[in-house]
Amino acid sequence: MPSESMNIRASTLAGWPMTKSLSGPTTYEVLRDHGVDRRTFLKFATGITATMGLEATFVPQVVHALESKPRIPVLWMEGLSCTCCTESFIRSSHPLVGDVILNMLSLDYHPTIQVAAGFQAEEIVDKLIHDKPGQYVLAVEGNAPLADGGVYCLEGGRTFEDRLREAASKARFVVAWGNCASAGCVQAAAPNPTQATPIGKMISDKPVINVSGCPPIPIVMTGILTYILTFDRLPELDRLGRPKMFYQHRIHDKCYRRAFFDAGQYVQSWDDEGARLGHCLYKMGCRGPTTYNYCSTFKWNDGVSWPVGSGHGCLGCSEPGFWDDGPFFQRLANIPQINIDSWPETVGKVVAGAAAIGAGAHAVSAIAKNAVKPTEKVPVESSSGVKGEE
Amino acid sequence: MAIETRPFTTEDFARNPDDYYRAGYVWQVPVRVTHWVTALSITALFLTGLYIANPVFSPEGEAWKNFTMGWMRKIHFAAGFIFAVSWLTRAYWFFAGNNYARSGFPMFWRAGWWRDLWHQLWEYLKLKRGPIHLGHNALGGLSYTLGVVVLGAFQILTGLALFSQDAPTGPMNRLFGWLLPFLGGPFRVTSYHLLAAWFVFTFVILHVYIVIYDSTQYRNGLISGMITGRKFYQRGDKVQDTWLG
Repeated sequence: MPSESMNIRASTLAGWPMTKSLSGPTTYEVLRDHGVDRRTFLKFATGITATMGLEATFVPQVVHALESKPRIPVLWMEGLSCTCCTESFIRSSHPLVGDVILNMLSLDYHPTIQVAAGFQAEEIVDKLIHDKPGQYVLAVEGNAPLADGGVYCLEGGRTFEDRLREAASKARFVVAWGNCASAGCVQAAAPNPTQATPIGKMISDKPVINVSGCPPIPIVMTGILTYILTFDRLPELDRLGRPKMFYQHRIHDKCYRRAFFDAGQYVQSWDDEGARLGHCLYKMGCRGPTTYNYCSTFKWNDGVSWPVGSGHGCLGCSEPGFWDDGPFFQRLANIPQINIDSWPETVGKVVAGAAAIGAGAHAVSAIAKNAVKPTEKVPVESSSGVKGEE
Repeated sequence: MAIETRPFTTEDFARNPDDYYRAGYVWQVPVRVTHWVTALSITALFLTGLYIANPVFSPEGEAWKNFTMGWMRKIHFAAGFIFAVSWLTRAYWFFAGNNYARSGFPMFWRAGWWRDLWHQLWEYLKLKRGPIHLGHNALGGLSYTLGVVVLGAFQILTGLALFSQDAPTGPMNRLFGWLLPFLGGPFRVTSYHLLAAWFVFTFVILHVYIVIYDSTQYRNGLISGMITGRKFYQRGDKVQDTWLG
């Protein structure tokens, strides 16, 4: 498998292996404490190995890592966000996956689901930053508005920007969780009045893994952390900083409706015959051909369905600027530079039409003037100077 | 030499043919070959591209029995590669060919080129015969450079970048994949690619019209010249390629 060999070749960063510096119980120990038997644990390990795109021979390595290495502490921060990432994260319908995610991450601080509140909660953050510098992973949901000194997002009396920079300065690496954190999402859509900025553009001294999607698929978080536990290095990232093992392929290339695309059979309007037959949603504005995500492989809610499976086109929620690429039910984007609601085709037809009309008008006037014959000669100045074969 | 202003006649021609038409070898073989390869590939690219952008007809029946969009894309990609090779060949011949192979380049640092540009525009608008060129006139060369060379390069680069999405680990992706995030993501690049295709089509409309107009107006063998390589001029024509250097 190409993805496997590529992951193995991924370079090791300075300061790694990080698992050497960790302490505390291993993932396996935590799971056993929660009453998970070994058989279920092995099933989980096998599943997560397949999810990462690794072949079955890697299962013992993954099992060994989960058994022997301490869990990675995760500090979860929320900036400008709608909490849909957390909702996705805690609602894995498969109980084991949910359990594993919540337990293996060692979520020391999570604004939405933590028990502690107020000063007690803030104390956890300070303690983590000061006691475990360079050990914890900073997972950021949402992003920070930078306009007017960052006052559009305040947490615990401080700007989120300030808190984020402090937490990131001591983190081992940063996971930008969701499209908000990795690309800006709706807060950063034009004209972006609060200057909402993706994490990768704020933090430059730490590796940032962009886990895009609105929300992202929960298994990706488990996959990334298991990968790091197992191989002691960051997964290989694509050009937008997204882990290749989940974001390498287009929705389109693994879509179960792809056969209809190649055949040329499309849904022409909602509720038509093609929609009932499950034809391709290309003409209804599906962003699958330009969206890199894991949905068409893993689906949602443990394989129940996913947008295209429900007859709705992909919105491209894992791509930067997808809110500005609307309308969603239109095949091609408006042209932002011209700033009018124009399809490229409309603009093109107008330009080409104007050229045709211009040429036609010229031809008509040329014929009307009876100019289309060689009747005149210009004054002769020199008949020499013709190059070429004379 | 006397200034000739009256229309020439068949009798004039019979009396002294040398005074009227003489041939100059202008377009060398690579120029002519790449011209027609480009013309055919652009036609195929534009038609299949329109279908890919907006599939207006759909086959009936089972999906596995049909491959309409698949063939459109295959033809589009093949024609795209042919166009790219043609573009590169022509670009090479810009340096290796005769002086006329360079006549399409906008030589904006030369005052003569600017004079020729305004003069030619004015002649077209006045519907006058005007001075004659053997290579490109400045206006034609400028539109050729913009419509084929610049837009062609843009289409080749964005096209290869979009094409590289099919194989995310392939060499195409390594070479051209960076263009997609650079230009605002694959979705927008698709739109730009289509918009630029319409601009190329606009160039084709203007090109075909002006070639017919020029050919009938000047009787200079402009159309057959792209097949035989020879263009005609009359004795006394001021050959305007002086800015060519």
